[in-house]
Amino acid sequence: MSAAPLLEAVPLLQVEGLSCRFGGLLALNNVSLAVRQGEIFGLIGPNGAGKTTLFNVISALTPPSSGRVLWRGALIPASRPDQLSRLGLARTFQNLRLFDSLSVRDNVLVGLHRFAASPLAAGLLGSAGERRRQRQLEQRALELLALVALEDEADLPAASLPYGERRRLELARALATEPQLLLLDEPAAGMNPAEKNDLCGLIRTIRDRFDLTVMIIEHHVPLMMRLCDRLAVLNFGERIALGSPAAVRQDPRVIEAYLGSAR
Amino acid sequence: MDAGLLEQMLIGALLALSVYLPLRCGQLSLATPGFFAIGGTVAALLSTRIPIFAGTGATSPLPALLLEMTLAGLLAGLLALAIGGTVLRLRGIYLAIATIALVEILRVITLNLSFTGGALGIFGIPQPFTTTAGYAGFTLVLLALVCWLCARLEQLRLGRAMAAIRDDELAAACVGIDTAQVKLQAFVLSALLAGLTGALAAHFLNSWNAKVGSFDASITTLAFVVFGGSRTWLGPVIGGLVLSALPELLRPVGDLRLIVFGLVILLGPVLFPQGLITPQGLQGLGHRLLGYGQQLRGYGHKLLVRVNGPRRP
Ligand SMILES: Nc1ncnc2c1ncn2[C@@H]1O[C@H](COP(=O)(O)OP(=O)(O)OP(=O)(O)O)[C@@H](O)[C@H]1O
Ligand SMILES: [Mg+2]
Repeated sequence: MSAAPLLEAVPLLQVEGLSCRFGGLLALNNVSLAVRQGEIFGLIGPNGAGKTTLFNVISALTPPSSGRVLWRGALIPASRPDQLSRLGLARTFQNLRLFDSLSVRDNVLVGLHRFAASPLAAGLLGSAGERRRQRQLEQRALELLALVALEDEADLPAASLPYGERRRLELARALATEPQLLLLDEPAAGMNPAEKNDLCGLIRTIRDRFDLTVMIIEHHVPLMMRLCDRLAVLNFGERIALGSPAAVRQDPRVIEAYLGSAR
Repeated sequence: MDAGLLEQMLIGALLALSVYLPLRCGQLSLATPGFFAIGGTVAALLSTRIPIFAGTGATSPLPALLLEMTLAGLLAGLLALAIGGTVLRLRGIYLAIATIALVEILRVITLNLSFTGGALGIFGIPQPFTTTAGYAGFTLVLLALVCWLCARLEQLRLGRAMAAIRDDELAAACVGIDTAQVKLQAFVLSALLAGLTGALAAHFLNSWNAKVGSFDASITTLAFVVFGGSRTWLGPVIGGLVLSALPELLRPVGDLRLIVFGLVILLGPVLFPQGLITPQGLQGLGHRLLGYGQQLRGYGHKLLVRVNGPRRP
């Protein structure tokens, strides 16, 4: 007699048979995968493989041609990016999208938008309670900036930051929305090896500290092998492999399509 | 300064703030003169047709003016709320064209309704203030209040969300901002401000007709903001004050003034692409003043040393 099988936990995010067509180009071809609660899930593949497109579909920026996305096992009851953000999804962008004319602090405060709700009149008149809330928000923003080592830059315009710091600011802004699932699109792009290493540590830290699930796209394969719990490999819009770093590394299709060309 | 000119400048500044609000979230709406015209029509009708608003004798009661301004603002705001959802789906130049069309539609409607006086408009609007200086004083207080509210707004969640949408609408949506709603709120606030300003202007001008809300006015009010800058509330205020005064100040040069006015509007954006007033510029000015202050302190110190001799340790 065997013990009752443990119920497999429902994945946080499931992608089922997702296809995305741009004119004659099939950017995603029947892609399925599931991301488990709490894991760091990597997405690798050559340029133009469809990685960013997959993020765009998940975050409701690009409608899929077919297939569906499930959140905790159910169809997502939202179709706009702001609704998805409230559901617990946050992301960064491959081509950095900061609010350039705002200060570093205000960029994070915009991320705290959802938690700043108060009647417009109370806000305009600046009641005592309102001022206290405002101070709490600024405090929270500074904490998040400290986490990415940007607290000294809080008053600078976001546009004035160097590239690596802009990437970290975007991360702080995404964290401000208190996500459950964080999508990072090439967060280490343009960083030197030491900075990349720091970023790895930071991603692990925030995963543990905020109880996050992370999906990350990154071209640096050795880094991904160390960082990720599981990996999916895309090539020409198709998911050609999925599994632990060790398993993916030995997959002949991956070696041929991707790792092979990298060596 | 002539109080009448001052009043025109103040009204210009209020209208400039009305254009600024949607522009702060990147929405080029030219509907301000339309809502301004509605506000004026409401005030003109109420105060010439309804005895309690008209008052007795030459002057109408001040509470009546305040009530008219409230009603005018509310009506304009409600109209903005009703059409905003549809109109604000348009972007950039298409929104500009749609709002110009709105202003034209309102103008033609006013022109053809019998109770708005047709092309001639409404005359003999009663005066809540006996002097022009009275108007200017009241409007100055109103402008100060509106400026204060705008400055507060910029520090608040809504003001930040507006700026975020202007910088990157898609990124703003991805951090949970309901961009359509924020744009609608800015549009409604803009209409409200234009409406109540119209009510005040109708009394000041004594008569009101369809010409007030025209395509020309759309362009002029936009010029206020382009000239002054749309990054912070002070820009449109300065732009509105200066450009409303300019045609009057240039009156001595005759018809040439229209050319000079045109040149100023043309050269402003070329010389100051961000507008005259920018947050960075203000910050720079602050630093410079601080620098002068420190320099002065230095001089004072040297003077003291010279008078008292160097201090011994
Ligand atoms: N909006 C779009 N319209 C048309 N084609 C698109 C669009 N977005 C992406 N594509 C195309 O889809 C394919 C996949 O693009 P995607 O950006 O997802 O690749 P990627 O895996 O993120 O590549 P990279 O590593 O270079 O970032 C590319 O050929 C790209 O040109
Ligand atoms: Mg990409």
